[in-house]
Amino acid sequence: MSEAVLGIPSKGRLMDATSALFEKAGLGISRNGSERGYRGALKGMPGISIAFLSASEIAQHLREGKIDGGITGEDLLRETIPPTDENVSVGLRLDFGPADVVVAVPACWLDVASMADLDDVAEQFYRAHGRRLRVATKYKNLTRRFFTEKGVTGYRIVESTGATEGAPAAGTAELIVDITTTGSTLAANHLRILDDGVILKSCAVLAVGRKAPAFDDLISRLSQFFSRS
Amino acid sequence: MPGRSSSEREALARQNAAIMAVFERAGFEHIAPDIIQPADIFLERSGEDIRARTFVFNDPDGNELCLRPDLTVPACRYHLNAAKNPAAETRYCYLGTAFRFPDEALSPQEFNQAGLEWFGGSDPVAAEARVIKLTLSALEAAGLSQLKVTLGDLGLFNALIEDMPMPARWRRRLRHQFWRPQAFHALLDNFAKPPAQKKTSISAHVDAVAGQNALNAVSQRLHQLGLPLVTDRDVADIASRLAEKFADRSQAPLDAAMVKTIERYLAIEGTVSDVPTQLKSLKGGKTFAGAIDWFERRIAALEDQGLNPKRFQFNAGFGRELEYYTGLVFQVEVEARNQPVTVAGGGRYDDLLSDLGAPQKIPAVGCAIHTERVKAVLP
Repeated sequence: MSEAVLGIPSKGRLMDATSALFEKAGLGISRNGSERGYRGALKGMPGISIAFLSASEIAQHLREGKIDGGITGEDLLRETIPPTDENVSVGLRLDFGPADVVVAVPACWLDVASMADLDDVAEQFYRAHGRRLRVATKYKNLTRRFFTEKGVTGYRIVESTGATEGAPAAGTAELIVDITTTGSTLAANHLRILDDGVILKSCAVLAVGRKAPAFDDLISRLSQFFSRS
Repeated sequence: MPGRSSSEREALARQNAAIMAVFERAGFEHIAPDIIQPADIFLERSGEDIRARTFVFNDPDGNELCLRPDLTVPACRYHLNAAKNPAAETRYCYLGTAFRFPDEALSPQEFNQAGLEWFGGSDPVAAEARVIKLTLSALEAAGLSQLKVTLGDLGLFNALIEDMPMPARWRRRLRHQFWRPQAFHALLDNFAKPPAQKKTSISAHVDAVAGQNALNAVSQRLHQLGLPLVTDRDVADIASRLAEKFADRSQAPLDAAMVKTIERYLAIEGTVSDVPTQLKSLKGGKTFAGAIDWFERRIAALEDQGLNPKRFQFNAGFGRELEYYTGLVFQVEVEARNQPVTVAGGGRYDDLLSDLGAPQKIPAVGCAIHTERVKAVLP
């Protein structure tokens, strides 16, 4: 059997936390010089080779079956691969990168506490202005899935790639779906999370796709370092 | 599949020519609306669920365009542009490609829709019956038989709750949720219970409008909290919903008998000819009686068209997913390999033309046939 490929983040905080974790577990990550450092190996795990990718590429490559497992944010994983996809599952939740994907509305909407309120407002807004509420987000799949589940239909998504929290003030959207850790950026932009507006309590995960059994050893080695699994 | 073979193309063209001949012979003007449409109209009208299935792209100026996901809106736009008097009776038929990202079996991403639209006219009941008759005739001309027709009628539900004493805002919310059975029942349960005093993150704002002008209360509060007013929702919009929430706190719950009547109505199912008896057994008011009368006239109109209403099914909950319909809805199914396949559907949509810019409401009824599905289920 050929080696199973594990994608790990190639930059940023996710990379640092991943390296630290593997270090703690006695699994040194080495880069293969011959392949310009985009590939690597795990000390003591000859069945696994490493691909260094950005966190969003890891989710895409997992979906396409280009890699067999990967460490990425659950938000990116679930945006790219729905939970109903049987080919990819979360093998291990890691204790870093915590963040919530949330629905946030302008704080001046004193009358809106819940998704049900939002649905009601969407209908009135359409009658008054002849257009749908716009939701700025980079999580268009997570947003669609969550809004459908909550029975909210009267909206449209405007894709946003950066500074999503500024969209309502800039007049390019009425509300947003975005990721937040402390909520302080939302508050600074006069936005408020709906009472039932947490779409996903995300953290870094080790996701496995094809050849999942090849990661069993790795997962049991790593999971000793967590109370949750 | 990357295309059709010569013989497949020809077979489909022959089938569709037979369908269109039925429509044209009946006096419907055969038009060809544009394939590329402004995206906004579809997206604002249909919501994100259809948007997710629509091919949207930008022109060099940045305008959002789309490939039509359906031909009804393009036919309406054509009409508003072409007709001197959009309210005058006009009857169109069309055959053309519609484009959707596929979401189920037998849904290719491009498929040919054959359809009718009947705008204006003085006898809506007769027009509905005629559209159903022509849909069935066209399907038969294409070679189908054993057609199963199901009807629904949103007018009946609207009439039923119109007669029930409850705040207008509750009626509005029930109508709005009619499409979503789960949310609808949750709402109904909510109205039937004494007002909950559950604290939410806005309870304090609701308290603040108690016993005073809601508009002033909201302005003051926004000022105190230092919250800038953003988006097109103004202080009046926010204040009126807070005032409603305050009123809901002391609103008497919906009478249990009425909840039961609504639930009994939604459970009605059966052959169309038996439905009036079932409807009359419900405790409805005058508006509802009028809607039953309308339903009976529809049965007579179907008979006038030579159709047998005993062969048609009625389902009170049917039509929940089709957002722009306002009255009659219908669908035609065929059994294929022990699976029902929907080959055609349609109904009344009296708000669509005015929503798209007509100066007044114009009655409209239409149908669309999914011609590839017809082809696929032909024996």
